[in-house]
Amino acid sequence: MDRPVEHEDLDLLAHVLLPVADKEDALSSATALEPYQPDHVTALHVVEKGQGVPDKTPVAQSEAVAEESFEAVRMVFPDADEHTAYSRDIVGAIFDAAAEVDASAIVYRSRGGNRIVQFLSGDRSLKLITTAERPVIALPRV
Amino acid sequence: MSEEELAKDLGLVSAMTIGIGTMIGAGIFVLPGIAAQRAGPVVVLSFALGGFIAVFNALSVSELGTAMPKAGGAYYFINRSLGPVFGSISGLGDWLGLAFASAFYTIGFGQYLGELIELPSVLFLNSIQVGAVLAGVAFVGVNYIGAKETGGIQTIIVAILLGILTLFAVVGWFSFDWGTVTGSGGLTPLGTAEILPATGLVFVSYLGYAKIATVAEEMRNPGRNLPIAIVGSVVIVSVIYTILVTLMIGIVPWPELDLEAPVAQAAEVAFPAAVAGLAMTVMTVAALLATASSANASILASARINFAMGRDRIVSDWLNQIHPRFATPYRSIIVTGGMIVLFIALLGRDVGLLAEAASVLHLIVFALLNLAVIVFRETDYPGYDPDFEVPLYPIVPILGATLSLGLIAFMEFWPQVIAVGFVIGAVAWYLLYARRYTPIQGALGEYIRERPDEMPDVAVSAAEAASPEATAAYRVMVPVANPETADELIAIGCTMAEQNDGVVHAVHIVEVPDQTSLDYVADKLDEIDPDASERLASAVETAAAYDVEIETHTVVSHRSFQEIFASAERLKADTVVMGWSPRRPWTTGRTGGPLEELTLELPCDFLVFKDRGLDPSKILLPTAGGPDSDLSAEAAKAFRDLHGSTVSVLHVIDEETERAEAMGFIGQWAAEHGLGDANLLVETGGDIEGEIRAAAADHSLVLIGATERGLLIRLLGDSLVYDVVDQIDQSVLLAERPAKRSIRERLFRRG
Repeated sequence: MDRPVEHEDLDLLAHVLLPVADKEDALSSATALEPYQPDHVTALHVVEKGQGVPDKTPVAQSEAVAEESFEAVRMVFPDADEHTAYSRDIVGAIFDAAAEVDASAIVYRSRGGNRIVQFLSGDRSLKLITTAERPVIALPRV
Repeated sequence: MSEEELAKDLGLVSAMTIGIGTMIGAGIFVLPGIAAQRAGPVVVLSFALGGFIAVFNALSVSELGTAMPKAGGAYYFINRSLGPVFGSISGLGDWLGLAFASAFYTIGFGQYLGELIELPSVLFLNSIQVGAVLAGVAFVGVNYIGAKETGGIQTIIVAILLGILTLFAVVGWFSFDWGTVTGSGGLTPLGTAEILPATGLVFVSYLGYAKIATVAEEMRNPGRNLPIAIVGSVVIVSVIYTILVTLMIGIVPWPELDLEAPVAQAAEVAFPAAVAGLAMTVMTVAALLATASSANASILASARINFAMGRDRIVSDWLNQIHPRFATPYRSIIVTGGMIVLFIALLGRDVGLLAEAASVLHLIVFALLNLAVIVFRETDYPGYDPDFEVPLYPIVPILGATLSLGLIAFMEFWPQVIAVGFVIGAVAWYLLYARRYTPIQGALGEYIRERPDEMPDVAVSAAEAASPEATAAYRVMVPVANPETADELIAIGCTMAEQNDGVVHAVHIVEVPDQTSLDYVADKLDEIDPDASERLASAVETAAAYDVEIETHTVVSHRSFQEIFASAERLKADTVVMGWSPRRPWTTGRTGGPLEELTLELPCDFLVFKDRGLDPSKILLPTAGGPDSDLSAEAAKAFRDLHGSTVSVLHVIDEETERAEAMGFIGQWAAEHGLGDANLLVETGGDIEGEIRAAAADHSLVLIGATERGLLIRLLGDSLVYDVVDQIDQSVLLAERPAKRSIRERLFRRG
């Protein structure tokens, strides 16, 4: 994984990467981000892939979810770019996408849930903030 | 690598593994005992024959899969070719068949689990059923949470299985005794007539190959890998079955072959006494792995079939909601899981019947699949260009269909009852539910309906009767509340309908106070609104001048304006034609929050008529050249085609210098909308409303498209969008098309 490129003014909000899971998540994340007025937003949806085994969810269905999520982000940020990644490693895919679009920061909103649910779905918040090589901004859960 | 390629992560080995992994569990570990008791030693022929039939189907599936690598597999191909009636049969059959098969696999799992541990009976479930239910719940849970198996685990499981079975075959070879095979009454002690019914029973062992096609869209290089994986896995599995079953009846006399755990039993006999116990345990573990992977793969495949059916509205899209956290189609998985548990509970004591139910439903689907190949080829379906073509067409698909259906004829009584009952049920499902929602018409129906003269009348009327309503007609709904404008609205509605070969629904909405119960009113319509029937009769009379069908409806409601939207949704209207005047009852304070929501999300196109007499002879069509005036352009074209109207397109620019460019632009816009013969008026000054006012004087009807979302709401809320509407003496027709449909609607509904 490459090092973040030096931004001239090191503005955290110059170009944020916003990973979104579905329509509702996208809308609430984008709404939470909106007051901070980022300069540019790229919405990211990671399609979970088995890579070698058939997926539990049909890919076409996952792609429809991605499209809905992007649409929801654009209701708040009409100029937002979109990026779809395919990987079994969600957090790794977020980092790769951040490098690819050269994001100034990754912005995410924790999805909450109790310990068991977090364990079952993999506690991504922890991995995201402890292994990132560029700034990660956690939005408040309102 | 493009995103397209990233989504494809299944190679040849993975694909082959899906096929072999789904198939190998069932046939060899569960069925030999039961099948041998039905047919005797010739049961080997039954297994071979099942594989033979499967190869024909596999070739057809391969062609279809390479032509359309889409989620849903068999269902998708059949729906696109034979149409939604057969689509419903195949989709529901595949789904139900997989649920039966999964119940069968989990019962097999429970039988072998009983060899290892002692399970209690619970209530009316015996210990095997308890084990099966536990396994079923576990597999459903894994799919619900979406736990990702490590990349190659399925490949490893299949490799281990093949290894164990090979070892068994080698050791078994030394214990094989021809005398054991024929020792209990020769080769056909029960008669040759039992071969085919037993084939129907063991056919459940060959379902896996079609599941490869359900993941075709995720495969790399499907043109090459798909046919190899499908045909290859069938051939490999057929050979393994034939060899192993032969060995088993040569090791254990067929009448003594264990009904629950035949492989463990044979292993115990075949291996030397010192390791017999170990061999039996290894075989048991292998059986557990095999039946588990079969059940798991089937649950997974069923979610894909549901997704494909939901996309086409054969079943409710409710099923395909994605879990917000696990990102799995959890409802579909839960419903499938519920059916599996139900089948385990009801039929778990007759594992043979479970197998036959799964077989018979899949045989129906496979027969239709073969016909799908023929239909796609013969109708020259657009874009049908398979990388792999079945050899010896049309012999292979015809034989495949005939063998599949033929085998059903030789099966036992109850599976046949299930088959017939299921087909009746699926057709009823289509007629009562899916027909109203699905927009898909198959290649066959389209082909026949487009050639009414060449085709036999019976075929044409059958195709008409079976075609989905959603594609049947363009619907115009006209609320006829106001007697002064009703006839004009009907005339406009008929114009739009005739232009689009559609139907007019005249809806008379009777508004009653909140205090009055709707049921009460329903009986007394004549008293409350004596001229309702008269008004609808007048509408029918007006429509007689047009070549359209008209249907009339009377609706009683507490909220007449909301009812327009509700009726439009219910009738699945494409266009609503309604009148408007500032004195409409719904502008008298009845509006508010819900109304805003309604008008923000228009269910369909709306044409709102400001009536100053309907004279469509000279139409003025102001446009900025954007998509906002698409609908008003369509209406103008309909009036021109049916009433001989002359159409003038008005475009307002700021500066004279832009004129030449504007003429070219607007001329092209008119031509694109089929109005190439329109007069082009380009006016300068930028005062759009002023220019409309001026130009209107020379015309008889002004058609205005909504320039932004929410035209209707402001119109109905008394605040005018355009003052011009009130300032001219001509009638105005305002046109609004829903600006933005949700993605799902754009993709799946009216496209």
